[in-house]
Amino acid sequence: MIVCLAVVGHENNPLYIQSFTESDDALKLHHIVHCSLDVIDERVNNPKKSSPTINEAFLGLLYPTENYKVYGYLTNTKVKFILVTTDLDIRDADVRNFFRKFHAAYVDAVSNPFHVPGKRITSRTFGERVSTIVKSFGLSSAS
Amino acid sequence: MVREVSESCVESLLAEIVLSYCSGFYANKPELAARRIEAIGFQVGHQLSERYTMDRPRFTDNLEAIKFICKDFWSELFKKQIDNLKTNHRGTFVLQDNRFRWLAHMSIDPSVQASGNIQDPSAMAENKSAQATGMHLYFPCGIIRGALSNLGIECAVSADISNLPACSFVIRIKA
Repeated sequence: MIVCLAVVGHENNPLYIQSFTESDDALKLHHIVHCSLDVIDERVNNPKKSSPTINEAFLGLLYPTENYKVYGYLTNTKVKFILVTTDLDIRDADVRNFFRKFHAAYVDAVSNPFHVPGKRITSRTFGERVSTIVKSFGLSSAS
Repeated sequence: MVREVSESCVESLLAEIVLSYCSGFYANKPELAARRIEAIGFQVGHQLSERYTMDRPRFTDNLEAIKFICKDFWSELFKKQIDNLKTNHRGTFVLQDNRFRWLAHMSIDPSVQASGNIQDPSAMAENKSAQATGMHLYFPCGIIRGALSNLGIECAVSADISNLPACSFVIRIKA
């Protein structure tokens, strides 16, 4: 299950952060997201030379914690997507697929002429679309 | 899903934007009108670059981003690539389009062209028509600047129309 999703702008400014849990652990999840920003910086500035997919948007598993796994994605426009999940046995392909769908939703949201670049995404349509994608993610990995 | 836009609609819209800014809102301040039109282009380029770079790996350097503008970005906008790219390898790039679509259907006042004698009024009128054409180029300049700025490259873009319908865009990257 995905417990938290965040979109962080190129100056590390939060654009969208949403948790999907009933319990009151938003602060803890935000903390995890915050920590992952450093990991992303490190990955991007010191890429592994051997890796063939050196500039791929999908950054893979950033770091595992006891209860969570954190995945990252960096777009061409230096916007970071961060995903926190409780599924510990999860396939990279599923996450990749999720990020692709999420990226499409994000692009549609920022293409809205009423969206101000660099400001938080407040579109309700975007929120609904994201929660649909999040729900479908749980289903596809279960089947 | 590929969404398309009628070409003549875009051209009419562009002409109308330029007209309403230059002779409507900012009739007496052409430099202010130019800035407003450029800002509209900037936002368009900013949003388009977000969409068109979606399925691409990240760019490693400026040249790669400029090449993206020349090839993929231009193809999406105008169904053709930039015809010629020159650079001095020190942050200046010249993108030449031999038949720029948004100027292809534009004509210069025939009365001005027909008059062969170089008199003051006609020379002034010619200058005016060049100025009017220049106004139409702030929008594409803004698009390029917006797209590059979203990719993390701060630059200044200007256009040169010394031999129509060819048009070159000069990109100067800020060091």
